[in-house]
Amino acid sequence: MRVKSRKVYAAVGAAAVAMAVALVAASLLGARGTSHATKVTGPTLPGAAETAALFRGIPQHGTTLGSPRAPVTLVEFADPQCPYCAQFTAQTLPVIVRDYVRTGKVRLVFRGLAFLGPDSGTALRWVLAAGQQNRLWNELDILYRNQGTENTGWVTQDLLDAAARSVKGLDLARMHSDQGSSAVRAEAAAAAAAAGRAHVPGTPYFEAGRSLASVRPLALKSFDPKAAAAQLDTLLKR
Amino acid sequence: MGAGIAAYLSYTRLAHTQILCTSGGCETVQRSRYSKLAGIPVAYLGVATYAVLLATVASVRETAAAAGAVVALAAACFAAYLVVVQIAVIHAICAWCVASDAITVTIAALAVLRLTRTLE
Repeated sequence: MRVKSRKVYAAVGAAAVAMAVALVAASLLGARGTSHATKVTGPTLPGAAETAALFRGIPQHGTTLGSPRAPVTLVEFADPQCPYCAQFTAQTLPVIVRDYVRTGKVRLVFRGLAFLGPDSGTALRWVLAAGQQNRLWNELDILYRNQGTENTGWVTQDLLDAAARSVKGLDLARMHSDQGSSAVRAEAAAAAAAAGRAHVPGTPYFEAGRSLASVRPLALKSFDPKAAAAQLDTLLKR
Repeated sequence: MGAGIAAYLSYTRLAHTQILCTSGGCETVQRSRYSKLAGIPVAYLGVATYAVLLATVASVRETAAAAGAVVALAAACFAAYLVVVQIAVIHAICAWCVASDAITVTIAALAVLRLTRTLE
């Protein structure tokens, strides 16, 4: 091998190793710098007032929100740990609730999934337990407002207790007993089965129709509330 | 093909759309703490890397071949690191990412071969 070639190979190797080390170091530092857990600093969680205002006065029954006579049923498949679900809940849901659910045009049905990891299962059982007291949507909303980084153990019992205290009327002792109940397990299993039948590829995933029995996939074009509203308007006109 | 995969993964990030995934772990990986590098999604960096590699191929100069080999080898090492992270840390496999990683390793081998021929 010529001396020049040897020098080029050495330089290329050294530069590549240096670049790779820099990339890996940046990745590890970035991952470490990301927030892990949601800190519980008070008896209630941040956003409790906003959550209460969003759902105040709207009928809830189990996993459903809104009038049972609403002409359109919108089913949301979501994982409590899913960041995009939290984004949808923050950006789009308030408009849907204000303009469509509160006005009796749309009924929401929650199909809770726990596919992202152990924290998903813990949070989902807690949310479904809130459904036993007809406050599922409040509890889900407050958890999304205080969502931590997935699979970092952010769903602590302290956090869940604070989330329950943040929703007026929730019986905390009953939440503890209901989270492991057969009703909650059955609801989670039913949602997982429905997701399997619908071939849900990820969350949030939506179905809509005139009734729960006639729902069809609804691909929300974006989390822009106006775009979602336009799609719901189209469904209401049918 | 690698650029296409990276572009698709970038699109799903930009459009907040669901990833078509056979392994079931794509979303977990794409939403993990390791899916960004200095705040930039790794998928975007993938597109940029493929663009740089394409640019180096366009030139027949020795420096272009050397630069291509440096970028490709570094990308291959980083791809190997990402596969280890998926298996050992995130405990989920993103089939699209692994396919792109495999292509990156192949490109690195070809880039070294090209450099060898250029230096001969």
